[in-house]
Amino acid sequence: MQLAHRPTDGWAENSSSGSVVLDTRNLSKVYGRGKQRFEAVQQVSLTLRQGEVLAFLGPNGAGKTTTIKMIAGLVRPTQGQITVAGEDPHRQPRALRHIGAVLEGNRNLYWRLTPEENLEYFGVLRQVPRKVAHRRGLELLARFGLEEKRQTPVQKLSRGMQQKVAIAVALIHNPKLLLLDEPTLGLDVEASEMVKALVRQIAQEGRAVLLTTHQLDVAEELSDRVAIIRRGRIIAEQSTEALLREFSSSTTYHLEVEGDLSPQQIHTVTQLGATVQGRQITYAGTPEHLYGLLGALSPVPLVSVQRDRADLTQVFLKLVNDHSDSSHAHD
Amino acid sequence: MPMIDLLHAELKRTWIQFIRYPTEVISGIVIIMAVFYGLFASAQYMAGPGFAFGDRLDAVVLGYAMWTLIISVNNDIAINLQIEAETGTLEQVFLSPYGAPRVFLARAFASLALRLVILVVVLLLLMGLSGSRLAFPPLLLLPLASLLLAGYGLAFLMGAAALVFKRVQQVLGIFQFLLLFLLAAPLEEATGLMQYLRFLLPMLPSTGLLRDLMARSLGLDWFTYGLALLNGIVYFALGLLVFRWAEATAKQRGSLSGY
Repeated sequence: MQLAHRPTDGWAENSSSGSVVLDTRNLSKVYGRGKQRFEAVQQVSLTLRQGEVLAFLGPNGAGKTTTIKMIAGLVRPTQGQITVAGEDPHRQPRALRHIGAVLEGNRNLYWRLTPEENLEYFGVLRQVPRKVAHRRGLELLARFGLEEKRQTPVQKLSRGMQQKVAIAVALIHNPKLLLLDEPTLGLDVEASEMVKALVRQIAQEGRAVLLTTHQLDVAEELSDRVAIIRRGRIIAEQSTEALLREFSSSTTYHLEVEGDLSPQQIHTVTQLGATVQGRQITYAGTPEHLYGLLGALSPVPLVSVQRDRADLTQVFLKLVNDHSDSSHAHD
Repeated sequence: MPMIDLLHAELKRTWIQFIRYPTEVISGIVIIMAVFYGLFASAQYMAGPGFAFGDRLDAVVLGYAMWTLIISVNNDIAINLQIEAETGTLEQVFLSPYGAPRVFLARAFASLALRLVILVVVLLLLMGLSGSRLAFPPLLLLPLASLLLAGYGLAFLMGAAALVFKRVQQVLGIFQFLLLFLLAAPLEEATGLMQYLRFLLPMLPSTGLLRDLMARSLGLDWFTYGLALLNGIVYFALGLLVFRWAEATAKQRGSLSGY
């Protein structure tokens, strides 16, 4: 695997497309000793490239936050290696210049300071020259639609705005890797849509985004890849599309028609193997035979034809349950 | 000069957080003014014999100012660590490529600067109000510097305790008694072994020199000052070292943000 070894000059975006930003190998964290010994994270290996969004999915206490904090240099791994843009955040504090993070359960901001002041302060804390931090701060506020609120103390902003400011602060030093721990938790629908749109934009700029969530729809909408973690171990990791496809029953279609079918049509359709419930028709057959079915429905107008597609909730539950079955079998 | 930028940013942040709610600022200043006015009006009653740097008004005021300054300096890092852990900004601070010791050092300077400014403003106001004049020999600044060095060493030790043990309010309370001893015990008058051992205790050599200058009207003994400065540097370095160890321990335990 090729790592980005070029020297970094701070805030210029300088990586070629698709280079590896984050690489973790066999990351493990053990807390306590003896009977109190608890393996929070076991053998987690992840690779994340520029512009990629990886969703880290798992139930509460599965080890998502511990993994994120190990990557950010806040929790020391018991074993394993982390490189962010070629540098180890635990050995080289410089590596922290590549990392931006919004952590869950934290305010992440000084509440008495305005968004503008927070951005400038955290910029300098991340070694951005003061004037650059100020300018970049204003740009980010404009981009995030917070210009009007830039002089309002953060504690007077809505929860959604605070989260946007926290994300802006995490971007002030132009990091290559953005870590988002439960970015939409506790937000209302509108705010959470806004945050999702921002995350997409941020990835499009070429940053790698690692987000944890237990809201499956968030992962499904945002991520290119999903890693499912359970009891500290990754039990599945692949592209979100492939994962969904694998778990989709490929031969089930849901059709909806406008208007009622005649008794003759219902008979034909049933003969073809479909079931009719009012205006809803479910058909489990090959794609070729679907056209026969569509012919039989003519001329009743169609509203929709949909192939049954698993959503991440089903995949997740299936995987997590399968694993608990197999681990029980081993017990 | 990134360190200068950091210092500037910390000064700005400290100042904004202080000034944002004017009622707090005004009530705080009124309280400090009241205490010092009491000192000006009836010095001998307010300042017990304990930490007197002499019984002249200058010395009483200086003694009290020193006492409040050192207490706040000592608690500064530990209390701020705890507040930031509770409000959830601590981990963002530890994400700084400067590393936590440098950030907290810059913060210590910033909060010291703020406290000194408030103190000077209050004293000037009171001198204007009461018509009295305070006079301090400028040489005073030297033992004050070594005193603050040792004081910040202790502050980093308390900060380390806060990182590892989390709840440290009780310890901080008890610690004030120890401080009282370190500031007030006139061990420079001791004879025998204690005459030498006092150089090993934090801050004691510096407070002895301050008493020489203020109460006894003696000059500054440069050899003793050398030892006091060494004392300050050693405690400061020790504080930083233990703080680093505490940071590594907290990261090992995964307890950086807990409180």
